[in-house]
Amino acid sequence: MKTRPLGETGHDSSIMTFGTIALNWLEQEGADQMVELVLDRGVNHFDVAPMYGDTELKLGPKLRQHRDEIFLGCKTQERTYEGAKRKLEQSLNRLGVDHIDLYQVHGLEYEEELDTITGEGGALEAFREAKDDGLISHIGLTSHSEPQLILDAIDRIDDLETLMFPMNPVVAGKDDADHDYEAVLERAAEEGIGTLGIKAFAKGPWPSTDELPEADRPYANWYEPVDTPREIEERFDFAAAQGLTSVVSMGDPKLMAMVLDAATRYDGMDESAQRSLVEKLRHDESPVPEQLHH
Amino acid sequence: MDVPTTVSTALEDRPVSGAVCLEAGAGVGNTTAGLLAAGASRVYAVTNDAAHAKAVSERVARAEPDRTAVLEADLRSLPLADDSVEIITAHGLFNVLPPESLDAVVGEFRRVASPGCHLVVDDYEPLPSDAAIRELFALENATSELARGRPALTFYPADVVRRLFVGDGWTFDREWTLLDPVPWTENHVRAHANVARSFASKLPDELGDQLAADADRLETAIGSESVGEMYSIAFQYPE
Ligand SMILES: C[S@@+](CC[C@H](N)C(=O)[O-])C[C@H]1O[C@@H](n2cnc3c(N)ncnc32)[C@H](O)[C@@H]1O
Repeated sequence: MKTRPLGETGHDSSIMTFGTIALNWLEQEGADQMVELVLDRGVNHFDVAPMYGDTELKLGPKLRQHRDEIFLGCKTQERTYEGAKRKLEQSLNRLGVDHIDLYQVHGLEYEEELDTITGEGGALEAFREAKDDGLISHIGLTSHSEPQLILDAIDRIDDLETLMFPMNPVVAGKDDADHDYEAVLERAAEEGIGTLGIKAFAKGPWPSTDELPEADRPYANWYEPVDTPREIEERFDFAAAQGLTSVVSMGDPKLMAMVLDAATRYDGMDESAQRSLVEKLRHDESPVPEQLHH
Repeated sequence: MDVPTTVSTALEDRPVSGAVCLEAGAGVGNTTAGLLAAGASRVYAVTNDAAHAKAVSERVARAEPDRTAVLEADLRSLPLADDSVEIITAHGLFNVLPPESLDAVVGEFRRVASPGCHLVVDDYEPLPSDAAIRELFALENATSELARGRPALTFYPADVVRRLFVGDGWTFDREWTLLDPVPWTENHVRAHANVARSFASKLPDELGDQLAADADRLETAIGSESVGEMYSIAFQYPE
């Protein structure tokens, strides 16, 4: 699998990042096999979080066995110094390691949170202290929110080294400022910040729970995923071709082999094929009025 | 309104900002929106279809009344002065122009073009012979020929379009591939089947019913298909 420099961290990340939440749905033996599988295919960047059920515990054994082969990203939703410090300790304990490569502010949503995080007694103080103490090496941030908020975060966090945000052909086809993640990619490239793409495989939100109760969903994903080899490959290729450092895999373990296959075979994507995908999805969303052309 | 990537790509290397533009065959206004977004000083959006004129007015022109003029007119005799436009766009126009209209339309483009005018023609290459959707387009053309004596769709190869305009004095600038493959989604397939059904309804009952049933069958059988190529050719008229 190809690798790309993760910004200026000095690490070359595989173009697929293993979203370890997939382990949450497996028994320990299956979880161990999954880690061996992704490592075997050349994945060297893992992403975990404490709120993903038992994921940290299930990742632990194989993580410790292969600690040198894995660049480990973890994250916290805590916004204060005390909270973040506590969560980091907890993650280290649950993972059973003494070091996390990348620690990320998880799911930034509001401008006020940015004030808290960057202010006195904010989470970033705990991050920087941990960096000084050698518990973590790099600081990152993840967000599903408006691109402008992420741009503000770049301005306000000088030592920010990575960003994780949504990137897929549906988002890329929308022109408004609320979907302008291209601007984030450009800015990140200028600043030497590594970029990790989420929601690459999103087909759309799940139907309402009236239509499809949560318990009847066929996949353990936040969103309804594409699920054929061809679509998964198209989506992977598209996301990887936008200039992201790495594309984060889906939450459901059943689809992992297809994502790995797409990532292993990635060899660029022509711009005309990228546009083809954007246009296909734009028209799938039933534009009004009905159109004969593109 | 989101401007389709086909449109924004075709316009991205053209000097649209501040230009007076003719959007020839305005459809539902995608390129009109693209030209406005790229900073056109004025867009004449021309279509001979009243429903399209209304759609462009409502979707695009209403928000930009000072920069947009929707004209319900025939491209074969444009209600515009000689040498009056700086950019002409024909996005998805040529495939709906029957061969006998080409000469008049090309002549009008040249007449209204000011010296140095840019022309962008975006359209589809003929489909490969194994494309399933060819059968639907064949049915659309057959019903159109029977109902009104001309085809609904003609796919002119990029090379032919290039020779056509170069032969009329334009200088070839560049050719790009906008889409490869072209995603004919379920919505497109349904829209084309609807066209065939509407022509079929104008035919004698027995024939019309048969062709309408064919349209139903093809719509289901094809579903969606990604096939073919959409190109963008740019020309400039000598200063
Ligand atoms: C497929 S649409 C073009 C799409 C449009 N350019 C866009 O970007 O959304 C073709 C348009 O050409 C118009 N048209 C076809 N022949 C014409 C003619 N002879 N005079 C004026 N308009 C014509 C049709 O009415 C239709 O609005």
